Amino acid sequence: MTLDRRTFVRDAGLGLLAFNVAGAVLMATPAQARKRRLPFQTLKPEEALTLEALGDVLVPGAKEAGLAHYVDQQLSGPHAESMLMIKYLGVPPPVYPFYAAASGAINRASRSRFEKAFTRLDDDEAVELVQTMSKENPAGWEGPPAPFFYFVLRSDALDVRYGTEKGFAELGIPYMAHIKPPSDW
Amino acid sequence: MTAPVKVEVVVVGSGASGSLIASRMAQAGKQTLILEAGPERGMRNLVSSQLWARRLKWGGSPVIEDGKQPIGYNFNAGWGVGGSAMHHYGVWPRLHEEDFDMKSRYGKGLDWPIGYDELRPHYDRVQKEVGVSGDAKAEVWRPAGDPYPMKPVPLFEQGRILARGFAALDMQTAPLPLAVTSEAYDGRAPCIWDGWCDAGCPIGALANPLATYLPRAEKAGAVLKANATVTRVLSDRAGKRALGVEYVTRDGTRIEQHADVVVLAAFTVQNPRLLLASGLANSSGRVGQYMMTHPAGLVYGMFDEYTENHMGATGGQLLCQDGYGKNKHSNKTAFGSYQWMIAPAVKPNDLLGFGTTRGDLFGAGLHDFMKQAARGFANMTAAVEDLPVASNRLVLSGKKDEHGVPLAHVTHTADEQTVALWEHALEEGQEVFKAAGAKTTWTGPMAAMHILGGTIMGDDPEQSVVNSYGQTHDIANLFIAGPGLFPSSGGVNPTFTVNALASRSSDYLLGEWGSIV
Repeated sequence: MTLDRRTFVRDAGLGLLAFNVAGAVLMATPAQARKRRLPFQTLKPEEALTLEALGDVLVPGAKEAGLAHYVDQQLSGPHAESMLMIKYLGVPPPVYPFYAAASGAINRASRSRFEKAFTRLDDDEAVELVQTMSKENPAGWEGPPAPFFYFVLRSDALDVRYGTEKGFAELGIPYMAHIKPPSDW
Repeated sequence: MTAPVKVEVVVVGSGASGSLIASRMAQAGKQTLILEAGPERGMRNLVSSQLWARRLKWGGSPVIEDGKQPIGYNFNAGWGVGGSAMHHYGVWPRLHEEDFDMKSRYGKGLDWPIGYDELRPHYDRVQKEVGVSGDAKAEVWRPAGDPYPMKPVPLFEQGRILARGFAALDMQTAPLPLAVTSEAYDGRAPCIWDGWCDAGCPIGALANPLATYLPRAEKAGAVLKANATVTRVLSDRAGKRALGVEYVTRDGTRIEQHADVVVLAAFTVQNPRLLLASGLANSSGRVGQYMMTHPAGLVYGMFDEYTENHMGATGGQLLCQDGYGKNKHSNKTAFGSYQWMIAPAVKPNDLLGFGTTRGDLFGAGLHDFMKQAARGFANMTAAVEDLPVASNRLVLSGKKDEHGVPLAHVTHTADEQTVALWEHALEEGQEVFKAAGAKTTWTGPMAAMHILGGTIMGDDPEQSVVNSYGQTHDIANLFIAGPGLFPSSGGVNPTFTVNALASRSSDYLLGEWGSIV
């Protein structure tokens, strides 16, 4: 499916983002993209699963809100247009290697402590590992400093879960937009 | 390489200082070109979202940061037409008289080559042109100046609650002076106090360049080119005269733009980077030195009362400058000035959002906190003076950007007297919160707010880069504008002073045009 510019602009105004599916552009919200299991453009599937699993431990509901598709989409465009918090945290672009390295590190740490990937941990195990990550590098961690990555992904998860009109409403905060975001974000 | 028609003035950067100077030049009939590295921006691009707001932050060549307290370039610098002023919070206090001669008075820091009296007429002029809301009489600390042209900003619950804490400690507060319209002003709509300042203000209530000087510049004939990245200043062989600038367009075309006068207004880091990369105006060896910031003292608390914390301006509602006396702090190591910006409007997410203030929380505990904070969170921020230190400096990296220009490498470690002042402010801030009835209080890490120095002004050409007008000591027709001119940071937000200095530079440039060109 391809879209003409008029359709693209109309759909963007409805809160939809453009996802590249097999060379065609498909309009969907990140949450819809997740439900439809749209392919990722930059993240590898295992990285995406790990990031959304960790993000959901940090901020419950972030996975359903489409955290992995949000991060993937932001990583897939020009850095100057990125909306990721990491943009102003001193990590030079491109920042995909940062997420990829951290995703690998969390799985290595998970296997080191529990002998299984992070996505297969039960709730208590995941919380235990994240608790350590928030303060120091867990055993087996090889990647960017764990507390820094904890901060970055926690921020991304807060963004998708609470930084939207829907998130504001859930907290009882009037959004009061001058200009509404042209996407869920 | 192409060479367009020579102009009289080329201004590099379209932010606070660049837009003001361009408007004054164009209004005086000078053929003026503004070159902006970032993309075009219009009011329609200012989306109310803390995520979309990040597109207003720096998106150009990476800046390598170092030191114990990095300057936070990407957070503080802007990207696109309007520069950093597009996302600034519009807190516009004036520097105090003692900020201008610290070295002479206290033997600390550096003196400015001018005093407050020389800048006052420009503060007065700019505040009338731009519109500032405030209550001059209530600001008992304020140096002499015209009253504000607009009534003070309104007070919401968060401000009322925190004011109670200051009063209990016999500390004074006043409405925060804001370059935000508290009423209709010069064709601009009044603010509706929805706290979206950081995302840019599409109704023009906040004095960003799209609402103030850029329209005046363009109306007077100035031409603005976006996506035009300046790569070097062109000069004669002796390096005694600027001939113009070289810039690169989005499609990679290199253009030599000749001009009678070059004004670098590309913010604190890019100005010295361009000078060093061009090998110009550095006979003093001071280009890049004395990089400063304002260490932010972030204090938070939770109240049982509804704090209505989403209402107001991102800059805050109230001001306290009781801590401005440079050597009058109970912590005897501390030196310098600080002020409190009280009760900023907050959002749930982003670097300054309440969700970020408790980084230790995650999972269900974080969700509970978010619910509580939406109703009872309050905050305030100290802008703490950063003593100028020569070793806090910018140098060129061995790495280059896509245009072949060496990257900036900036090192910043705060002086121990600055750190002590910041610690003192945090202690005081928590006492205020407790006195106001907070059930819990906590603080944030030292964060860099604003970036200053690097092309400091002074009378001595061996110790400074420019004179008090921003004119480089080495090259008469090369000017610098912006907070990089500050030899000391003071304890107030810099944008009002940036504008006042640009106003003064403009008068000088036009008045001395014949001898400069």
